[in-house]
Amino acid sequence: MAKRPRKASDKKKADTEKVVLTDRDKKTLRDLLGLADRIVNDAQKKRDPYLEIPTRALSNVRYNKTRRRIEMGSNKNRRELFNLSQAKSYMQTVLVASGCKQLIEQGKTLSLRGLYYKLKRDVEGTKEPTFVDQGECDPVIEDVEVGLNSLREELHLYASNRGNLAGPLVLFDHATGDEIDCARMGSAGYSIPSIVENDVIEFKKCTAKFILHVEKDTVWRRFAEDKFWQKHNCILTHGNGQPPRGVRRILSRLHHEYKLPVYCLLDNDPWGYYIYSVIKQGSINLAFESQRMAIPDAKFLGLRSKDYERCELSPSVKISLSDTDIKRAKQIASYPWFEHKKAWQKEIQQMLKNGFKMEVESLISKDITYVTEQYTPARLEEGDWLD
Amino acid sequence: MPRQPSKNGQHARGRTASDAAGDTGATTASNGHASKRRRATAQSMAASQRDISVSEFFAKNRHLLGFDNPRKALLTTIKEAVDNSLDACEEAGIVPEIWVHVEQTGANRFKVGIQDNGPGILKKQIPLIFGKLLYGSKFHRLRMSRGQQGIGISAAGMYGVLTTGKPVKIASKTSARKPAHYYEIKIDTKKNLPEILNGRGEGVDIPPGEAGWKYIEKHGIEWVEVQHGTRVTIELEGKFVRGRGSVDEYLEQTAIANPHVTIHYLDPESGSDPANEKLYERSTDQLPKEPKEIKPHPYGIELGMLMTMLADARGMTLSQFLTSSFSRVSSGVASRVCQTAGLKPRASTQKIGRGEADKLFHALQETKISSPSTDCISPIGEELLLKGLHQVVPGEFYVAATRPPAVYRGNPFQIEVALAYGGTTGANRVPLEVLRDLLAECDARTLRQFLTTTFYGLGTDAADQIIKAAGFGSRTSPSKLKPAEIKRLHEAMTSVNLEAGQTMNVLRYANRVPLQFQHAACAITQSVMSTNWRSYGLTQSRGQLPSGPVTIMVHMASVWVPFTSESKEAVAGYPEIQKELRLALQSAGRKLGMYLRRRMKVKQEGERRNIFLRYLGEVASAVSDINKTDRKKLYDQLMLVAKKKTATADMRLDERGQVIEAELEEDPSVLIVNEPAEVGIRNPETKNGQATS
Repeated sequence: MAKRPRKASDKKKADTEKVVLTDRDKKTLRDLLGLADRIVNDAQKKRDPYLEIPTRALSNVRYNKTRRRIEMGSNKNRRELFNLSQAKSYMQTVLVASGCKQLIEQGKTLSLRGLYYKLKRDVEGTKEPTFVDQGECDPVIEDVEVGLNSLREELHLYASNRGNLAGPLVLFDHATGDEIDCARMGSAGYSIPSIVENDVIEFKKCTAKFILHVEKDTVWRRFAEDKFWQKHNCILTHGNGQPPRGVRRILSRLHHEYKLPVYCLLDNDPWGYYIYSVIKQGSINLAFESQRMAIPDAKFLGLRSKDYERCELSPSVKISLSDTDIKRAKQIASYPWFEHKKAWQKEIQQMLKNGFKMEVESLISKDITYVTEQYTPARLEEGDWLD
Repeated sequence: MPRQPSKNGQHARGRTASDAAGDTGATTASNGHASKRRRATAQSMAASQRDISVSEFFAKNRHLLGFDNPRKALLTTIKEAVDNSLDACEEAGIVPEIWVHVEQTGANRFKVGIQDNGPGILKKQIPLIFGKLLYGSKFHRLRMSRGQQGIGISAAGMYGVLTTGKPVKIASKTSARKPAHYYEIKIDTKKNLPEILNGRGEGVDIPPGEAGWKYIEKHGIEWVEVQHGTRVTIELEGKFVRGRGSVDEYLEQTAIANPHVTIHYLDPESGSDPANEKLYERSTDQLPKEPKEIKPHPYGIELGMLMTMLADARGMTLSQFLTSSFSRVSSGVASRVCQTAGLKPRASTQKIGRGEADKLFHALQETKISSPSTDCISPIGEELLLKGLHQVVPGEFYVAATRPPAVYRGNPFQIEVALAYGGTTGANRVPLEVLRDLLAECDARTLRQFLTTTFYGLGTDAADQIIKAAGFGSRTSPSKLKPAEIKRLHEAMTSVNLEAGQTMNVLRYANRVPLQFQHAACAITQSVMSTNWRSYGLTQSRGQLPSGPVTIMVHMASVWVPFTSESKEAVAGYPEIQKELRLALQSAGRKLGMYLRRRMKVKQEGERRNIFLRYLGEVASAVSDINKTDRKKLYDQLMLVAKKKTATADMRLDERGQVIEAELEEDPSVLIVNEPAEVGIRNPETKNGQATS
């Protein structure tokens, strides 16, 4: 498991007993203590202990029209120990809290999977595991984040790296003390870490004019190989499907700190639409992070429903829509942030009318370099995108 | 259709002359060409046509009386004697005490002695009662009693004499100061008359006091010293078994239905040593309410009977006859009957002819007459039913239901039901030595048959489970098991959870007498099977007995119990009886359902409780990791909260349940045996206290 001292100051490392806590660590510890004290307090007063956790569902998110991003509402869920359906997740929440507390005190960080393994054991006196799989653990971690109103990195947790970046960007990694030139990272590019806050990843220099975000690795490589970012002086990123928080955060920082416009080249399917939606106004699940992550000015470059005809693609690229696709498309069309955008309504209707979806790779069927040398430059030139 | 004489040969004797003549005629007609062989003529046949004595008939058809096999013969003999004793005691107002002594005298021979503390029998009556079939006091009256026809005990004696040649020995004493009478008799089956063997055909009188004792000892007469009472000793060919349909079971069931009886029982293995006596002690000194004798109800008679009664009633007017011979016929009713029949109420009974009798009969059936008075029936009563059942059947919930008396064919009857739920079957508790004996005695061909026939409430499913757990083949013979194998079987029997595979155990009673055979033919079993027990929380396959640890006891009390045969093993299914049975079963079932639903609720609550209690330890550890609070203290505090929480849950349940609880517990017909709560708060602190659920 990767272990990194978190701060340059921590780098003096040596004996773990002398961990120097940052102010943020102290605040997080206070929050964690508060959580534990409340339980003790409740127990002393013979009340049912409960945790209040903001609801993470469509019902508790609000689209802020002026800020153009999703914001979390004030609805909270009670998680009670003495409630049949919540007892286990209550225990899990407390376990995660104690795990994080230990991490902070020892000045270590763990991946989500690492924490899962740290906490996984049999509930004492039974053969029931505390967590059945990581899928059970991850949402609880998110609950603790929201419940304590602290960020994942503040809990000393990180997700596995997913997503790469290439382009004229120089940054400084405080964790290792390396200066990284993202223009010289070879064919694989710079792997975007999970935590990219300024105190970890500091931007030194950026000469790019815009950012092109593509959906996945295969398309990213196509662009990288054709030296697209050199030719157009841009930063090229991908998030391997739904971009993780590290990718979204780095996009947001570049967008806000260097005023770089963000263009997205995603599949023409409900999944691609939702990736765009998450980049642009934040996700429903992590609405509390929108403020740091949302890029309300991000543009949707393609693939468009009309591209099958516009680019004269061969019929072999069609992938017929499944029932869930249709359901999901209608759901997305009814999201408040898409509801009043005529162009988007038209786009989604067009896809439904087509009855098929397309991946970005379908452009390759026309020509290997079609997407990098004709399609994308033409769209950027024309300013033909969806907002 | 002429019957073939060859087929009927052996029965020909039983037919009347006209029958036989008709047959012969038909045969000759059909065999057009006369055969050379000399055929029987009406004259030659007449020579062999004669009276058949009842004793002869029953000697040949002993299965009708319950002597079909040695096993049943032994049981029936004891049963008849005990039933007679109980009837006699109750009629005389004596709280009964019975001694039953079974002693093996040969390979297949048993000596059975039954003594009571009854009123005793007058000297001249003794030979007739024990040595003449169809002699008794109970046949001609309408009164609830165990015996009905006056066949039983004399038939048992006859069977004994037939199979062993040994006489029936009777000793009876009517008071402490009077001499006891001692008879040894045989039945002359041809004449249906007793033949007295001792005292030169006169019987012997044993003087009271010392002299008497000496005589008793000298002649080896068996007698337990009582002031008055009767002892009958019969030696017969029989077979002693245990388990289902055994003497033990009969006595046990008798004790359930007769809580006022004390039974001293010495079985063949006791070695006649009083120390090995098995005692069923009475739980009440109260004799059952004495049933009254009633006159027949007009709805219950038949035309032939009416004509006989008319002929007997000399010198009476019709109106007088009707009011005096029937119950519930007032002079008003009588005049209405006469009016309907078109007869004069003042007409003499002697002038009533066949046609008029027929009219009178129909008028009686048509006229609305109130039901017979029902005080002639003495039910066991809910309280004593519960007491009796609780004493013998282990369980956690008991309920009894007594229906109001009803009438079938003019005979009043009453149905009572008692039900016990819970407890384990005998198979779970049987000691190894007893199992060894049971196996040695049994005549079942397969192990499965042995298990299902020996143990009550053990269905084929449960038997298969046991056999599988013990690792035997399905066709293993029970008699050939080696000691080690018996041990294996015993282990399997005690370890396998039989509750699910258990079937309802139905105890049937008629006038307090247990019915042990012919379950399937009995209206009681049929009613139990046709009741929908699923709605009362038991599992039941269509048309089967429900399964579960349930014992149900059904008692039919009546002045005349309609048995399907003379051996009194099954009750006939008259619609009125079936209806009452159904209602009684449903009434008990409803209360069982209430109890089971409540129990289920408590159990579910307990399971729910355990689920969140399970995580308390983890929560306490995690919290103390965070803020260094004392883990133990926090755990205890959380535990307290949990208990408080569950206490309120209990309370709520109680309140909600209290409505039911109060209803059930205040109900005098319900008995709930509180066992230690099976679903309490299990303390996860003690690591092994937590089972995975």
